[in-house]
Amino acid sequence: MSTAILSAPFQAEFDANSQEFAFAGVIRPRSVDEISHSISTFRNAIEEARGVLYINVKRLAQMNNTAFHAFSRVVLDACRTRSDIRFVVVTSSVVGWTERMFRHLGNIEPQITVEVYDSKFYPGQSFVEDTSFIPILRTQTKMTWRHERTILPRHGMRPGIVMADICCGIGDFAVLVRKEFQPARIVALDHSRASLAYARDVATNFGISDIEYTYGDASEMLLEDNQFDLVTCRHSLQIFNQPDLLLKELYRICKPGGRVYITNEKNSHCLGEPRAQSIQWTYNEVAKLFSHFEMDVELGPKSRRYLADAGFDDILVESFMVTNLDGEPQDFADVITAWENVYAGEMAVKRGDPPEFIERFRQGFRDHIFAALHPKGYAGWPIWAASGRKPL
Amino acid sequence: MNAAQRQPAETKFEPLLQFEMEMGTFLSDWHHCDQLSTYMARMISHNRTDPVRHSNFFSSALNELLEVSFRGGSPEGRIGCAVYRQGPMERVKLSFPCPPRQRRFFREAVARTRKDDAYARYLDAISTDLAPSREVILLDLAINFDAEIRLEEDEPSITIIVDLPLEGIVS
Ligand SMILES: C[S@@+](CC[C@H](N)C(=O)[O-])C[C@H]1O[C@@H](n2cnc3c(N)ncnc32)[C@H](O)[C@@H]1O
Repeated sequence: MSTAILSAPFQAEFDANSQEFAFAGVIRPRSVDEISHSISTFRNAIEEARGVLYINVKRLAQMNNTAFHAFSRVVLDACRTRSDIRFVVVTSSVVGWTERMFRHLGNIEPQITVEVYDSKFYPGQSFVEDTSFIPILRTQTKMTWRHERTILPRHGMRPGIVMADICCGIGDFAVLVRKEFQPARIVALDHSRASLAYARDVATNFGISDIEYTYGDASEMLLEDNQFDLVTCRHSLQIFNQPDLLLKELYRICKPGGRVYITNEKNSHCLGEPRAQSIQWTYNEVAKLFSHFEMDVELGPKSRRYLADAGFDDILVESFMVTNLDGEPQDFADVITAWENVYAGEMAVKRGDPPEFIERFRQGFRDHIFAALHPKGYAGWPIWAASGRKPL
Repeated sequence: MNAAQRQPAETKFEPLLQFEMEMGTFLSDWHHCDQLSTYMARMISHNRTDPVRHSNFFSSALNELLEVSFRGGSPEGRIGCAVYRQGPMERVKLSFPCPPRQRRFFREAVARTRKDDAYARYLDAISTDLAPSREVILLDLAINFDAEIRLEEDEPSITIIVDLPLEGIVS
């Protein structure tokens, strides 16, 4: 049992700029007196607010009935005296009970509405959480694992540790790590129900029951502070529009002295011979396409800066190139086919690109496959693996 | 229902975890409710489909029950709490010594969780009461956690039995 969280103070804060009052943590007072300060802060915030006041309970891990009643009373009283104000309670689908408990307020007062926020939090989400991503992830991990299994021990991976894989996708990395390194505990979190369902199926089929797959939002996790010896987050910082926020969460759940390990790409540096030019043109366009959806697939070499800015020390950065010579060239080709399908077939279409562009865009992927399968060809996909230590 | 009829259904619940302690010790620190519910939730959820969220949900429910016994229990005797599982359902059995007058309140509060007007009573309590009563807490469990609640009396203790179908709600 982690006692840290049990005594962790809760937060109740008002941000006047966004007219948002946020509750976070564990709020289980014995009596209302214990939270009287927060209640008066809340009351003052309402007094100050004009129009709509947002009540953010996204990170509210626990709130007992004593606190729920006390805070609800403040809101309900305000509704009775102030017809000019509306309340929007923002809950999360991750913390299921908040949605169930707070929705009653809307049934009491029409001035209160309850929203579930995390159906849409970053622009590229619909692509990444879709099932079409599953084949991409499956082939990718197969290719990167050959490299990462030797890289990981340098970044804190060892038997017996407690680790979390955040944005675990279809969970194949967790399965591989479990087999190779035998950590004591693995929590694997993702926000795609489709990927998690897939991950659980795979685990069941392999008779694995000790990987804790959990549905969650990486930028607002239910996981407690200072818990993990190693937190891994692969290929995912680069798809968030605010990678620093995510990194802050990874830092939070990591133990002091533990490490956070991230991998990211620099897509414009994918390469191949022959047909180098066409390949290069397409991958430059991949980077632009992702940035249209506010994702930075050029993040790899920026890892050092991100880790440093997030407060890590002892930062290690290395890069490796997945190539067609690593194993079966067809595996490499399969990765590229999966990219072509989603990037050209879905994302470019969504951006509204004309057919001529899409055709040329597709050609670069096909040329990359050509290079990969060519008897004298070479095709590469560079990746940056980096980690930092959370200071003691 | 007599004991013979109840037996077959009861046996299907497999025991997962239980604790017992002196009521006096339990009552010595309010944080015991939080600590015990967090710990028990973590332990029993590890092999649920989504252990983290199951544990969060379960801890919420168990904490309310423990708080009820904290507020309504008498200091002599022992408190015992056991968790059982049957399929997607967890059963919590919480026994604690309870003075006769309180017992009557519990009997009525438990009965009300099954009445048609349960939701109306719950809303009414949120909008008018200053602090939640025992009744509202049991209503909260019935409404927000789809719990089925029963009471067994074994003087001087009572046992609150709560069936929580959380696996279905969480995943
Ligand atoms: C590019 S994939 C990488 C998956 C996996 N780490 C791998 O390398 O195969 C990004 C993953 O992040 C997940 N994701 C995106 N936003 C998330 C969020 N807010 N919380 C948790 N997971 C998220 C997506 O569902 C997707 O599985």
